Amino acid sequence: MPSTTSVVDQLLVAQHLSKRFGGLLAVADMSMEVRKREIVGLIGSNGAGKSTTFNLLSGFLPPSGGRLYIDGQDMTGRTPEAISRRGLVRTFQHGSLMRSMTVEENILIGAIGGMPKAGRKARDARVREMAELVGLQKALRETAGNLPHGMQRLLSIAIAFAPRPRLLCLDEPLTGLNQAEVAIVLAMFGHIRDAYGSSILLVEHNMKAVMQTCDRIYVLHHGKLLATGTPAEIRENQQVLSAYLGNTNAH
Amino acid sequence: MQNFLQLSFTALQIGAVYILFSLGLTLIFGVLRIVNFAHGQFFTLSALCASVAVPWLAALGLPVWAAYVAACVAGVALTSLFGAVVYELGFKRVERDMIGSFILSAGLVLMIEGALLKLFGGGVRPVPPLFEGNVDVLGVSVASQRLVLCAVAVGLTVALTRALGTTRFGKALRAVSIDHEAAMLQGIPYRRIAFLGFMAATAVGAVAGALIAPVAAVTPTLGDSYLVKGFIAVVIGGMGSVPGAILGSLFIAFIESFVGFHFDPSVANLAIFVLVMVFLLVRPKGLMGHD
Amino acid sequence: MTDRFIRNGLPGLLAVAAASLLVTSGYAGNLIIWVAVAAALASSLRFVLLIGELNFSVAAFFGLGAYTSGVTTTIWELPFWLSLLASGGVALLVSMVFGFVTLRVKGPYFLLIGFAFTEALRILYTRSEWLGGNSGMVGIFPPEALSDRFPTFVVLTVGAMILVLALIERSHLGRIFTAIRDNDNVVRSVGIPVHLTKVLCFCIASFMTGVAGALQAFSNNVISPLDFSFLLSTFALAYLKVGGEGHPGGPILGAVILVLLASVAQGFGGAEHIFYGAAIVISVLFLPSGLMGLAARLCRRGARPGVARAAGDL
Repeated sequence: MPSTTSVVDQLLVAQHLSKRFGGLLAVADMSMEVRKREIVGLIGSNGAGKSTTFNLLSGFLPPSGGRLYIDGQDMTGRTPEAISRRGLVRTFQHGSLMRSMTVEENILIGAIGGMPKAGRKARDARVREMAELVGLQKALRETAGNLPHGMQRLLSIAIAFAPRPRLLCLDEPLTGLNQAEVAIVLAMFGHIRDAYGSSILLVEHNMKAVMQTCDRIYVLHHGKLLATGTPAEIRENQQVLSAYLGNTNAH
Repeated sequence: MQNFLQLSFTALQIGAVYILFSLGLTLIFGVLRIVNFAHGQFFTLSALCASVAVPWLAALGLPVWAAYVAACVAGVALTSLFGAVVYELGFKRVERDMIGSFILSAGLVLMIEGALLKLFGGGVRPVPPLFEGNVDVLGVSVASQRLVLCAVAVGLTVALTRALGTTRFGKALRAVSIDHEAAMLQGIPYRRIAFLGFMAATAVGAVAGALIAPVAAVTPTLGDSYLVKGFIAVVIGGMGSVPGAILGSLFIAFIESFVGFHFDPSVANLAIFVLVMVFLLVRPKGLMGHD
Repeated sequence: MTDRFIRNGLPGLLAVAAASLLVTSGYAGNLIIWVAVAAALASSLRFVLLIGELNFSVAAFFGLGAYTSGVTTTIWELPFWLSLLASGGVALLVSMVFGFVTLRVKGPYFLLIGFAFTEALRILYTRSEWLGGNSGMVGIFPPEALSDRFPTFVVLTVGAMILVLALIERSHLGRIFTAIRDNDNVVRSVGIPVHLTKVLCFCIASFMTGVAGALQAFSNNVISPLDFSFLLSTFALAYLKVGGEGHPGGPILGAVILVLLASVAQGFGGAEHIFYGAAIVISVLFLPSGLMGLAARLCRRGARPGVARAAGDL
């Protein structure tokens, strides 16, 4: 496992994070990092602690132990708003959008969050830019709740990326997408990394997509880190194979 | 020490009625996820029935206690029937919609209270006491009437709590309370349980009203002050929690009794409100709330 | 639709104000004031509904505004304008503290705290001798210059406040309110301080409610604790539900209809409560979007495509 060089160089550094719910230790001794300009995958079977980890990293759950650094600053126990302003924005697994509002209004919320002092023009420009990034520019006036599932997923990414976070954390962004849609989204991830310079942390079940698109992968098992490495390394890793990848579906 | 015991007994008596009142509230919230602002009206309706029926029946020659029992039964039955109608026509359509159901119940409060005021007038209708005289308990003088009422209330509460814990109906109610969809998947007939739950809660509230009739000033606005306290008890205890409602009610009753004695009743009310507000900040879900 | 309301709002308001000039005081004048104050209450309630909370403390802030006016006018003898502003100001300050503390909880809990607060204040008023205790305060008069034209003044003030609320609703801030109601986690995740924003919404609405309370005090000249019980909040709810909560004009429509009908009912011997209650019940069960919603649906059914699309926003 590559060791952390310095907290300051990394976008995200989690050190020995843990979370306890009453008697249940959902996540234990979770240490991970995300560097600049990379796509990192977080995989694990259901109940492995992925959602909890995500909530810990984004501030939606305060950790029971450990420290969290974002872009060099100690953000342990800070609110989601503060963490977001520091450069980490996450999506939610279910319903990561405002169903009653239009696509345009949805992305606008993200833009306002990222540009609190900007004027109408600048924010509208950002909205158009994000809509084009995900391919929703023709659907701006549609009500979000009426969109087909795939487009809703795209919308949630547009909202989350509108504040141009340096680290975009996506919770199962590919669920329910068909193969064509998956390809489009994966290409978009690459674009976000290369053209915008942001990093992406993905929680995903779609193994093929994860192997294809991630620069590095963390494997979670029963709340603990089982392994980490490049896709090639993970594919060869015996522990991972027996614990998890053995029952992989190529999806 | 004398005072402490006396005040504690007072608190228990007051608390007993609050418990019965707030049990209904918390049950309705737990099972249907609705805030029934009109619960006080069922309480009042039952009390009014009792206060009308007892003198009438007594005049027909029945001994007071029989008149009282008959009046209670009539009051509870009538109120439950009314509750059934209100549920079928109204609440069923807005269940699980907290804002909608609250608004509906607020409208019902206005309607029912207005109607009651028109029918019964604003004056107090006393119910003749069942038992005269006082009884000495642990050196404290307690009106026999109140003691009996308190005992009945406590007994009922215990019976209810046990029923909720052990009977099939009780367990079904709790299952629906925790997760109605999971309960349905397990074969629990949600519709029926919801209806019966509402009825049971209303009946309990009606019993509380009938019980309070002999010792309170029965007017159409009787339910209002109980409503406020009842809700506060439920909020403190945690909406949907039966033990919470009991704890919350006792908490309020004790404050009312002790603070009311050392200062005066309205200071007690003020204290209760302030405490609730503070409480909600520290423990928003209440002592034992789910949801 | 909010856009149309704003565009038509100003001329509409001026027209109504002009019409009210034909009336001085007397019964018609009082009716106009009653409607305007009702519309203010309902609009304030609707504004807080934008963040998804039913603000049952509206009666409390109304009372705060009224009592502030009572104190500034009869005890401290401050000029009228200062009284009005102070009423709004006191309501605003209290709402900042109250809102900050209580908006941490949602739904039924927030509702009940508002209810408890209203009752607590009412008790406070009855226990405060300097506020007149149970009997309340008397002698709250508007300045000579305005007293003849007071209905018009009230209409203008309330109308202006409602228009400001509509402007805010339409702005980016208003969008944030709506987003918070829809999915506050997403709003938090993009860095918007949700709690403070909710408090801001609450404070704006409470300022308006405070001013409305002052207007009520000046027009009635007399206030007492009983005027500011939870029943008042229920009436505000009635105006809102009947008129329709989806449109800024809904509270106004509801206020007009219910107040007019109530004044007719008063003639038949105080069946006011039953009447408001029935109005709420009927609206909740049969007209969930209120009368404005009904009007929109009727428009849509018989209309040309252009009108239908605009009305469809309702």
